[in-house]
Amino acid sequence: MKAATLRRLIVIALLVLWEVLPRSGLVPELFLPSLSSTLIAGWSEAGEYAHALATTLYEVAISMAIACGGGIVLGALVGSLPRPRILIMPMMSSLYAVPLVVLYPVFTVWLGIGSESKIAFASIYGFLPTMLATAAGIQTIDPQLLLAARSMGATLSQRLIRVVLPAAIPTVLSGLRVGGALVIVGVVVSEMLISSAGIGYLISRYRTILDSAHVFAGVLLVLAMAIAFNAAIRLLERKAAIWQTGTRGGQHAIEEIAGSTMQPAT
Amino acid sequence: MQPLANVTPLKPAARAGAIQIDRVGQVFKTSTQDVIALSDVSLDIKPGRFIVLVGPSGCGKSTLLMMLAGLRPQTSGTILINGAPIPKPDPDRVGVVFQEASLFPWLTAEENVEFPLALRGVAKAERRAKAEDALKLVGLDGFGKRHPHELSGGMKQRVSIARGLVQDPPVLLMDEPFAALDEQTRMTMGDELLRIWSATGKTVVFVTHSLTEAVYLADEVAVMSARPGRIVDHLQIPLPRPRTYEMLSGDAFGSLRDRIWRHIRKSA
Repeated sequence: MKAATLRRLIVIALLVLWEVLPRSGLVPELFLPSLSSTLIAGWSEAGEYAHALATTLYEVAISMAIACGGGIVLGALVGSLPRPRILIMPMMSSLYAVPLVVLYPVFTVWLGIGSESKIAFASIYGFLPTMLATAAGIQTIDPQLLLAARSMGATLSQRLIRVVLPAAIPTVLSGLRVGGALVIVGVVVSEMLISSAGIGYLISRYRTILDSAHVFAGVLLVLAMAIAFNAAIRLLERKAAIWQTGTRGGQHAIEEIAGSTMQPAT
Repeated sequence: MQPLANVTPLKPAARAGAIQIDRVGQVFKTSTQDVIALSDVSLDIKPGRFIVLVGPSGCGKSTLLMMLAGLRPQTSGTILINGAPIPKPDPDRVGVVFQEASLFPWLTAEENVEFPLALRGVAKAERRAKAEDALKLVGLDGFGKRHPHELSGGMKQRVSIARGLVQDPPVLLMDEPFAALDEQTRMTMGDELLRIWSATGKTVVFVTHSLTEAVYLADEVAVMSARPGRIVDHLQIPLPRPRTYEMLSGDAFGSLRDRIWRHIRKSA
């Protein structure tokens, strides 16, 4: 059986178990409401969920733009200039290890409990891995490519836009994958903590009244959001991979044909 | 008072493709010491000549090439190309072909060749036409749409050469362009390069480790010594053209190669 078919079967099996286990009474509906009751709960409050989803998507979109845009620009700068790299990189790396969620209450004091504090928190949360990956990606660019561009008269900005950025795309994408996922986490978590709107808020509010079906409806929406994001990144990666994987294949081909470099037959 | 001295016309040697290297030195400053990479290098290269630089590893031949390309300023002395100094890269005067094909993997062969034109905002149609001409010149007609990973090592170097020639500079600098190729491809590429060279009349400065390649390709060979790099011998290669594979085993070929080898062994 092919791996993809198997994967699909596993997902279907899990969905079936989700329906069967609570219904058969093996798992109490309070812990795990059945899939159908979750969907019905979500449908009955569709307006409320749609409104919450809109709020969350708005926060995710803005945070994503700030985190990924800022992360790529700053990562490119820090990665290509040695002095800022020495100054900033160790700081950023250790900051990445800090559980930033402890800062969220501070943000609510500064920015209130509306979208601003979520955006601020999620942006910083997703910014760090994007920036670190971009900086790392730029440092690993073949210097020969930059030298060649320079020999053709490329200015600094031309080298950045036409060589450094395209060469860094694969690494940047892997940074985006982590950074974007963290943005979603950041928004939902901050909504759950201190908030008055969004999916995270709904989940947390229904939890306090022990309405599991509505909690799980919210969880499903967050899942869908994460899966959609992942699919979008995969699509981008596939486009970039055309030359990325190809280069490696090409190198193998050369190694197979050529044994070693020739030396003078003296 | 010699007011006329200020308006001296360009010397005859300043024709397109002439390279004058006059007492050029290069010192690398490291934190602990200054390393003299090149010392007192002088060469006068006539337009249209094929000159090969050979020497032991680390003798500064690539450094000299980088200076001719305007990629690295010399510490002392002067370099004139077409009679004018070259303080920064000038693709109108000098095209460069690097060792491993330094093609941009995300661009097609065509787009790679167009790259230097795109940098200066040349219109798309004109760019495409020039790239096609250059690819035709290097024998890659019809391969323009391929990405570098879809080309063999020799084909990639052909694309590099096309990219170096696309702006029609009078001087083409080549830094061990065939070093990463297997021997058969290398021989073919040498013949191809000679064909392109005689079709275009460029001045070629070619750096290599291979003495056979040096004698086979060159009009003249400049032999450099180990650090500090200086020119220890400057030979004319009187072998007739076109060069053929049979010449490799001839006495004339052998004695020229031996003469170069003796210099290199002495300084290595």
